[in-house]
Amino acid sequence: MIHLRGVFKQFDGKRKVTALEGVNLSIESGEMVSIIGPSGSGKSTLLNLIGGLDRPTEGEIEIDGSLLAKLDDDGLTRVRRDKIGFIFQFFNLLPTLTCLENVSLPLHLRGWPRKKIEERAKELLSLVQLGARMDHLPDELSGGERQRVAIARALSVYPPILLADEPTGNLDTSTGVEILRLIRDLHERLGATVLIVTHDLAVADSCRRTIHIRDGHVFQDVRR
Amino acid sequence: MSEGVRIGGRTRSMTVAPRIVALMAFVIPVFAQDPKQIIEEVQKRSRSNSQRYEGTLEVTGAEHHVATKRWIFERLGSFGDSKSLLRFTAPPEVKGVALLIVNHPDRASDQWMWRPSIGRDQRIALQDRSTRFFGTDFSFEDLEERDVNQYDFKLLADEGSQWKIESRPKKSSQYAYSYMWIKKDNYTITKVEAYDKKGLVRTIDYRDFEQMKGIWTARTTEVLDVRRKSKTILKFDKLEYDVPLKQDQFTVEALRRES
Amino acid sequence: MILLRLISWPYARKHLLRTLLTTAGIVLGVAVFVGMHTANQSVLAAFHQTIDRIAGQTQLQISAGEPGFEESVLEKVQNVAEVRAASPVIEATVQTDRGNLLILGVDMLGDRSLRTYDLEGDASIDDPLVFLAQPDSLLVSQNLGVKLNARIPMRTMEGERTFVVRGIMKPGGLASAFGGNLAIMDIYAAQKIFGRGRRFDRIDVALQDGVSLDQGIAKLRAAVGPGFQVEPPSSRGEQFEATSRIYALASNITSVFALFIGMFIIYNTFAIAVTQRRSEIGILRALGATRGQIRTLFLTESAISGLIGTLAGVVFGIVMARAMAGYIGGLLEEVYGVAQTADSIQVEPWLIATAIVMGVVTSLIAAVIPARAAAYVDPVKALQKGRYQSLGEGENRMRRRWAMACVVAAALALVLNRYTPIFYAGYVLAVLAAVLMAPAASLWLARALRPVLAKLRPVEGTLAADSLIQGPRRTSGTVAALMLSLALVISLGGLARSSYNSIAEWMRIALNPDLFVTTAESVTARSFVFPASLGDGLRKIDGIDEVQLVRSVRVLVKNTPVMVVATDVASLGRRGRLPAVEGSTEEMYREAAAGRGLIASENFARLHGARVGEVLEIPAPEGVVKLPVVGIVRDFSDQQGSLVMARDVFVKYWHDDSVNVFRIYLKPGANGASVRQKILEAYGNQQRLFVLTNADLRNYVIRVTDQWFGLTYVQIAVAVLVAVLGIVNALTVSITDRRREIGVLRAVGGMRQQIRHTVWMEASAIGAIGLVLGFALGAVQLYYSVEIARRDLIGIDIGYAYPLSTALVLAPVILAAAFFAAIAPGESAVRGSLVEALEYE
Repeated sequence: MIHLRGVFKQFDGKRKVTALEGVNLSIESGEMVSIIGPSGSGKSTLLNLIGGLDRPTEGEIEIDGSLLAKLDDDGLTRVRRDKIGFIFQFFNLLPTLTCLENVSLPLHLRGWPRKKIEERAKELLSLVQLGARMDHLPDELSGGERQRVAIARALSVYPPILLADEPTGNLDTSTGVEILRLIRDLHERLGATVLIVTHDLAVADSCRRTIHIRDGHVFQDVRR
Repeated sequence: MSEGVRIGGRTRSMTVAPRIVALMAFVIPVFAQDPKQIIEEVQKRSRSNSQRYEGTLEVTGAEHHVATKRWIFERLGSFGDSKSLLRFTAPPEVKGVALLIVNHPDRASDQWMWRPSIGRDQRIALQDRSTRFFGTDFSFEDLEERDVNQYDFKLLADEGSQWKIESRPKKSSQYAYSYMWIKKDNYTITKVEAYDKKGLVRTIDYRDFEQMKGIWTARTTEVLDVRRKSKTILKFDKLEYDVPLKQDQFTVEALRRES
Repeated sequence: MILLRLISWPYARKHLLRTLLTTAGIVLGVAVFVGMHTANQSVLAAFHQTIDRIAGQTQLQISAGEPGFEESVLEKVQNVAEVRAASPVIEATVQTDRGNLLILGVDMLGDRSLRTYDLEGDASIDDPLVFLAQPDSLLVSQNLGVKLNARIPMRTMEGERTFVVRGIMKPGGLASAFGGNLAIMDIYAAQKIFGRGRRFDRIDVALQDGVSLDQGIAKLRAAVGPGFQVEPPSSRGEQFEATSRIYALASNITSVFALFIGMFIIYNTFAIAVTQRRSEIGILRALGATRGQIRTLFLTESAISGLIGTLAGVVFGIVMARAMAGYIGGLLEEVYGVAQTADSIQVEPWLIATAIVMGVVTSLIAAVIPARAAAYVDPVKALQKGRYQSLGEGENRMRRRWAMACVVAAALALVLNRYTPIFYAGYVLAVLAAVLMAPAASLWLARALRPVLAKLRPVEGTLAADSLIQGPRRTSGTVAALMLSLALVISLGGLARSSYNSIAEWMRIALNPDLFVTTAESVTARSFVFPASLGDGLRKIDGIDEVQLVRSVRVLVKNTPVMVVATDVASLGRRGRLPAVEGSTEEMYREAAAGRGLIASENFARLHGARVGEVLEIPAPEGVVKLPVVGIVRDFSDQQGSLVMARDVFVKYWHDDSVNVFRIYLKPGANGASVRQKILEAYGNQQRLFVLTNADLRNYVIRVTDQWFGLTYVQIAVAVLVAVLGIVNALTVSITDRRREIGVLRAVGGMRQQIRHTVWMEASAIGAIGLVLGFALGAVQLYYSVEIARRDLIGIDIGYAYPLSTALVLAPVILAAAFFAAIAPGESAVRGSLVEALEYE
C-alpha cells in the first residue's frame, strides 16, 4: 500500500537541514502502524511525504500503486483527496464552520452533490458519536470532541489510508485513550491502513507495528 | 381669374371671398352647358374698374369668442391683373395694419403686410399663403385673383335654378378642388365648398344680394372653417364702384408713406 | 461556490469593516465614472430633446455663425424648389424677474408649418392680428406660470420695456423646452428690440416630401453660397458636446486613478488575507483542494467584492449624477443662455455594463498576485504554528528590475514624445515604474525613518519602524495607493495653480482697459449688440482716452465653433500687447491691423493644428475670408480657441458693424467711477448698457475659472478620501495581522499606551513615506498633466509650477488623517483579550 525507497528530504534554509536520510519502508494494506521518535527526528516529515503534502528531495514514494514523483501538484492533490485522510494534533478545524460543515468540506472539494454530502457527513458524525452536535461550532466542543470531528472529516471519503499526526498530543490522557480507541475501532471496522505519528509510547504500543525514527533513519521496525 | 376679391367686388360684392369662388365662370352660352363659359359670364357681370368698401369682420371662434374688426378695402384694375389694399381701422390695437395684394395674370400674386408699430413691411411668402389671414377664416390665398385659365371646370349638375360646377386648379394651391353653386337668373355665386386632399376645408355662403350700379353684390359673406369650427362673417358698408384711385397708391412705398 | 459560502463568507463577515473599506476605491472610482457620464449624458439628452423641441419639423438650419446674415437670404432659400417651408429665426436670451428666458423670434405667419405651438388652436393666442400689430407681444409657455395679458418687464436695446403676454402655449413640444423658460416673439419686433438690424440668426427649413437631406443640403448650399452652414438642427449640440467631452475626459482620468488606487488597496487587503488565512488554506490543501480551487476561491472572492463595490458605486454615482447634472447644465448657458436642466437622469445600460466590467476587472487584477500566492501556500508550513512565509527576495529583485526597465522606457518615450501614443505610453510606464518601485522605496524610507522614530520614542519608534520593515507586503500596497492619490492631488493642484498663474498673467496684459461697456452683466452673453455709433458717443465723454470696439462672434472654422474677435488691432497692439508665442510680435500686430492676417490663440493653433503662415478659410456671408495666421498668442478668451481679426475685415465680410463690448481706456488722472457714472447718465436710460470696471471683469474671469476647476476640486477630494481610506484599511489589516505579535508584546510587559503609540507611529510613518513618494511621483505626474492639457484638453501650455502650497497643506492633512485612521485599530489592538490574541491563528 505504501512504499518508500531511499527517501531523502533536505530543507533549504540559512543552513541545510536533512530531515530524512534514505528511508526505506513498506506498509501493507490494512496495517496499523505507529511512528515514534524524538522531536526533530523527521517523523512528521515522513508523514507529510506519505500524505503528499511535500515532496522528497530524493527517492521514491508509492502510494496505492501511484508513484508520487511522477505526479504534478494536481495529481498529488488527487491522491491526497481520494486515498488519504489526515488527523492533526491541533485538529485544524475551521472555527467558523459547524461540525457538519467541517466534515462536509472535503466532499465539497470533490464536488459531490449536496444531498449526498449531507447524508455522508451525518453518517460520519454518528460514526464518531457526535450525531447530536452537528450544528455546533468547534469552539463549543471539548478537545476530544473536536478531534472526533477531525477524524470524521478525515474519513469523509473512506480513504484507504489514514494519517494521524500526534492525534492525542493535545488531549488529556483519558480523552487520548478514547480517541485512540476510536481510531482503532475505525481501523478494524473500515479496514483502513492507519499511520500514527506520536511520541507517546503508550500510543505506539497499542499498534501492531511501531517504526522508530531517529536522525532521519528508520532505527527500528518492531512488529508485535 | 378673378379671385375672391374680385368676384366679391363685382358679382356678389364679397370682396374677400375665396379664390375658389373666383373660379366661377361666365357666360352661359346658348347651350348653357359649358362651365367655363358660365364662369366667364359671372366675371363679366361683376366687372368694375375700381372698388371701395368698408368691411366689418366678425370672427367667432370655437369657444364662441367673438372678435370684431373693421377695415377699408380698395381695389383697382382689371380682373387677374388688379391691385388691392386692405387697411384695418379698428380696434385701435390693429389700426394701420395693412395688406397689399398685387395680382398677376400668369402667376401667383405678391402680397405684403405693413405694420406701423415696427415701421416695416413684410412679404408674405408663397409657402405661407395657406395660413389664415390674421386670425380670420380666410387664408391669404383666398384673397388672390387668379385667371380663369388657371382652372379646369366641370358642370356637375343642373339643380333647376342653379348650376353646380367643379373647379380644379391647374397650378399649386392649398385646395384640390371646389364646388360652386351659381344662380341661373343673375349669374351670382351663392355658395362655395373648398376641398383639399383630406376633404372639406371651408364653406362660403353669400347672402343679402343687392344690385349696385348694375352689379349684383352680396353684402354678407359667411365663411366656415369646417375643421376648426370657427366662423367669420364679413359685411360690406359704403360699397362704391368705379371710384377714382391711383396706381401709386398700391405700392409698398405707399404703404410706408401712409403711416 | 459552496466554498465561497463556507470559507469566504464567514471571513468577510468577521472582517466586515475591512471588506467594506477594501471596496471603497472601487466604489469611488465607479461612482465618479458613472456619476459624471450619467450627468453628462442626461444633460446632453435633455439638451438634444430641447433642440428637437425647438427645431420642431425643421430638417435643416442655415446659419452663418453668430453674427447672422441679411434678410435677403430668406428669399433665396424660399425660392429653392426643394424647400417646403423656410422660416427665419432670431434667438436671444433676456433676464427677467423669472430668470433667464430664451426668446425665439420667428415669423409668426409662416413658422407654424415648422413648429407646433398651436398658434391658433384653442384661442391660445388671443388675437393673431393684435399679436402681430403690437411689437410687445409675447407667446409664452404655460409652464412659465403667467396669465394672458400679464406684463413682463425686460431690458432691451431701447431701455427698459414691458412686454405683454398675448398668447399661451400649451405644455408639451416647444413649450416644454428649457422647462418652459421660453417665449416666442415676432421676428421683426425682435430685430428691433435686440438691436439686430435687418438680420436673421438663422433660417429653419423643412424640405418637400421625397427630398433627401443630402439633396436639400446640396441645393441650399448652392443657393446661399459658401459662407453659410447648412446642417441638421442636431449639430447645434456639438459645441456643448465639445465642452462636455473635456469634463468626461477629466473625470475618466479621476476614475482610472481611483480604480488604480482601489486596486492597490484590494491587493493589499488580499495579500494580508492570504497571510492570515494560510492555515485555513493549508487545511483545505491537506483535505484535497487543488491549487486551481484555491486560486479560484480567491479570485471569485475578489470578483464578488469588486461587484458589490461596483454596484454600490453605480448607485452612489447615480445619486451623484443628480447633483452634477445641475452643475453641467449650467455650463450650457454658453450655448443658449438658458441653463439646461435635466428633468430625469438617464442611466445608460452600456455605461453600467462598462462600469461593472471595469470594477470587477480591476478587482480581479488586484487579486491575481495574492490568489497566486494563496495557491502556492505550502500546506506543511501553513499547518505549523507561528511560521510565516515571507515575500521572497527574488520577487523583490525582479520587481526592481522591471521598475528600472519601465523608467528607461519612460525616459525613452519622453525623448520621442512628439508622437501621441508614445507620449501616453511613456506616461503609463512612468506610473508603472513608480508602482513597481514603491515596495523597495518604502522599505528604504522605513529604514531611513527608523532612527528618527527611535529618537522620538525609543521603544515604540523602533517597534513601529521594524514592523514596517518586516512587513513590506503589508505596507507596500498602502504606500503605493497613498502615493498614487497624492500624486493625483499634486498634479491637479499644480494644474490649477499653473492655470491661475497663466490666466493672471494674461489678464494683466490683455485685460487692462479701465472700463468695459457691455450689453449684459456677463461679458460672454452675446444676445444683444450695440450700434457702432455708440463708440463715437463714448469717445466724446470727458476723461475717456481711447475706445476699442470689439465684436466677438462664434463662427465655424475648420468645423468647430471658434471665437472670432474683430477689433481695432493696431490699438490692441499698443494697449494690450500679448507677446507672440510663435511669429514676430511686431509683425503680427502690424499685419493683422492691416487686415492681412489673423492672430490665433495658442489653443486654437494647438487644437486645430494651425501654424504661422497657414491660410485659414473662414466662411462669411459675403464670401470666404482667406487670411494667413500671422502670429500665435497665449490667450484664454475661449475654450475652443480664438482668432483676432481686423474690424474692417469683419465689417466687410459680415456686413455687420455692431459691437459687443467697448473697451475703454481713461485719460491719466481721470476718475473711473465718475466716467462710469457719466456713461450711465448719457446712455443708461435709452440703451441696455452695463459698465464694468476692470476689477469686475477680472472677478468674472476668476469666477469662470473657478467654475471650471470646480470639478478638479471634487477630484482632489476624491483622491484624498481614497488615500485616507487606504491608510485606515492598511492599519486595520496590519493590526489584525499582528494580533499575536501584539499579544506577545503585551505578555512580555508592553503597556497599553506603548502599544497605542506604536500603532500611531506606524501609521504616521506610512503617511510620511506615502507623502514623500507621492510628492515625488506628483512632480512627474504634473509634468504629464500639463502636457496632456496642452496637447489634448485646452491646447495651452500653462507652464509647470509645482504646487508647494498644496504640498504644504497636504503634509499635515495626510499625517493627521493617518493618525486618526490609527485610533480605532490602535484601540482594537489593546482591547482584545490577551489570551485570545496569543491563541490566535
